[in-house]
Amino acid sequence: MDVGEKDKFELEKRNENGINYQGSGMSAAWQFAGGGNLTSTPMSLVPSDNPLVIGSSSGSASMVDSFCSNLWEHPSNSQSLGFCDINVQNGASSSNAMGITKGGPASMSSSIDRQFDMAWNAASSMLKGGMFLPNATGILPQSPSQLPADSAFIERAAKFSSFNGGSFSEMVNPFGIPESMAVYNRGVGLMQGTQNVFAIGGLKSVSGVESQKSKLIATETSGDACLKTENRATQESPHKNERRSESLVWSNEEARQENGGSGNESNEAESSDGVGGQDEPSALHSTGCEPSAKGVSSKKRRRSIQDVETDQAKGSQSPVDAAKDGAENQQKGDRDQSTVMNKTTTKHGKQGSQASDPPKEEYIHVRARRGQATNSHSLAERVRREKISERMKFLQDLVPGCSKVTGKAVMLDEIINYVQSLQRQVEFLSMKLATVNPRLDCNIEGLLEKDIFKSRAGPSALGFSPDLSVCYTLLHPSQPGLVPGGLPVMGNNADFMRRTLGSHFTPMAGGFKEPNQLSNAWEDELHSAVQMNYGAGAPSNSQEVNGSQPSGHAEVEL
Amino acid sequence: MDLQNLNPSSLKSRFTARFLRALTEINAPKTISSSSPREIFQRYRRIKVAADKSMAYSVRSRRIWSRATLWRLRTRSRSRRLVSFGRRASVKTRTTASHGKENKEHHGAVLGVQAEELRELVPGGEAMDLCNLLDETAHYIKCLTTQGFCVYMGGLLCEGCC
Repeated sequence: MDVGEKDKFELEKRNENGINYQGSGMSAAWQFAGGGNLTSTPMSLVPSDNPLVIGSSSGSASMVDSFCSNLWEHPSNSQSLGFCDINVQNGASSSNAMGITKGGPASMSSSIDRQFDMAWNAASSMLKGGMFLPNATGILPQSPSQLPADSAFIERAAKFSSFNGGSFSEMVNPFGIPESMAVYNRGVGLMQGTQNVFAIGGLKSVSGVESQKSKLIATETSGDACLKTENRATQESPHKNERRSESLVWSNEEARQENGGSGNESNEAESSDGVGGQDEPSALHSTGCEPSAKGVSSKKRRRSIQDVETDQAKGSQSPVDAAKDGAENQQKGDRDQSTVMNKTTTKHGKQGSQASDPPKEEYIHVRARRGQATNSHSLAERVRREKISERMKFLQDLVPGCSKVTGKAVMLDEIINYVQSLQRQVEFLSMKLATVNPRLDCNIEGLLEKDIFKSRAGPSALGFSPDLSVCYTLLHPSQPGLVPGGLPVMGNNADFMRRTLGSHFTPMAGGFKEPNQLSNAWEDELHSAVQMNYGAGAPSNSQEVNGSQPSGHAEVEL
Repeated sequence: MDLQNLNPSSLKSRFTARFLRALTEINAPKTISSSSPREIFQRYRRIKVAADKSMAYSVRSRRIWSRATLWRLRTRSRSRRLVSFGRRASVKTRTTASHGKENKEHHGAVLGVQAEELRELVPGGEAMDLCNLLDETAHYIKCLTTQGFCVYMGGLLCEGCC
């Protein structure tokens, strides 16, 4: 359905904004992943996306390219799946199942297994949430096999994911769209988190590649601050210093380079692993275990977020303006993401207002859209409005001639008019039936078959008229003319009916100037289909049509 | 004309079957064409009821509007037969309407006027929030088009008969 796609594309845009300043290979890969994620089937996506999440930074550009090509091979969309609610609910249930099943195939060391599984749960649930497809239960086991490609990187990723892992359980909720987007954000945060690990080690060495990464890092930190803040809560001071330096480093670079930075990153990761990167992750690990072990409640996270954000507020006010400019773009992307997160978390924790007030002032830590309230009531209201707009779009497709109409009020007016005219149409036709006294001594079953046959053939052979608004106006003036009995009157009405229905089921070539042809075309179909003595009826009908043509045309010009 | 395999359980086929049967019942007793307006009007009423009923029965109770239509038809027929119980039926309709109005106040949709109109149009729409109302409207539109098409075809067939 359109809405589902639209939501996906929104998600895609946000992701693009959020990762604008990342390394080229990563961003390109991620964007592909985001785009492919949303539009491709899960079967093909999942195996290629999961490694993309973690492996892209470690793998070479060729790997990324292969994944991207794989993604774009299956650009199927979920249009056939009706409303999104059902799909995402299924996706939620399937993602829940996925989380459980993913616990098995982890192939890491025992100490890291749990966090890693949670990371993978996050990634898989993110992907599944982003799928909007009910058959997302088929998360392929290929994904874990990609992990051992870079054990050290994976190790760090696992450690870092421990902080995010605890809060993933919250994201997987039965609430449709926000859940998927929130889960997606989780995945993005996970990726950013892993990159941050590299950043910590990467700062210690100075190189050209390093500058790329530090740029990545700076954006990562700002992005991380927006999305996931459990990490920050645990290691505020060391990160603050690093962030300042990172932002300074990042401010030196402006242009976003587009090459295989991912390969460099992997090298950097491995090199920095021994330098001192272990210190931070270990610290993170220890503190991160707690929330994940407890299954973080939203209250706790909110408090930690609040603390972190106030600290970050102090810390981030010093950065260079260049960092600000860069962050703002990301902020816009993050704002919406955090809005989604805000939505889900407040739905669970019912504590949105307090924690989100301070971040609103900060340009980095915006939690909700600017100028919008963040309490659960307004969020629920927003969700309800989105649902309604979904349905309005569906109705727009159903009611002919409403594609150009914008605005709910006008659309509703059109819908009301259409329903009224349809009801009147049925009344007309039943009146017409009443006047014609059918001698149904002929075979009713045969009639039934032929009617169904014609009804099948009619709409299939002929298209649907694009604009029926004129029909409604035609029907309206004919209302007072409806007098029971009197065949000429009925003939006139029949002509109207024929034209109306003809426009329903036939392509209107040249507007109403050729209703005769259309009705004759339809009559021809009836002739060929009905193998009865229909000839007696047809000429009379055509006579009526011819006879009432002038009047019909006159009313058409109304 | 290609003979495509028909979906025997489609809305169209279900409705057409029921409607044609109802038509035969309506037209069977009248052997001589009576052209008095009142009789024609009566027949029109019956045909219209038959159309609505067959449409509602084709949808069963899957939709709120179909249930409302069936309920309305049943209560109307009951109220006609049992005059003494007519008050009860009217009370029932009144309660549903008032309940619907309460709902309207609660939701306070921005498009209140049009939503009200839509609720009046769609049977059973009084007690629905805007979200479900739009759902019901979509399905109702689809069924109305099918109904109109089938009645029209039936009419053409009957014209051909006589």
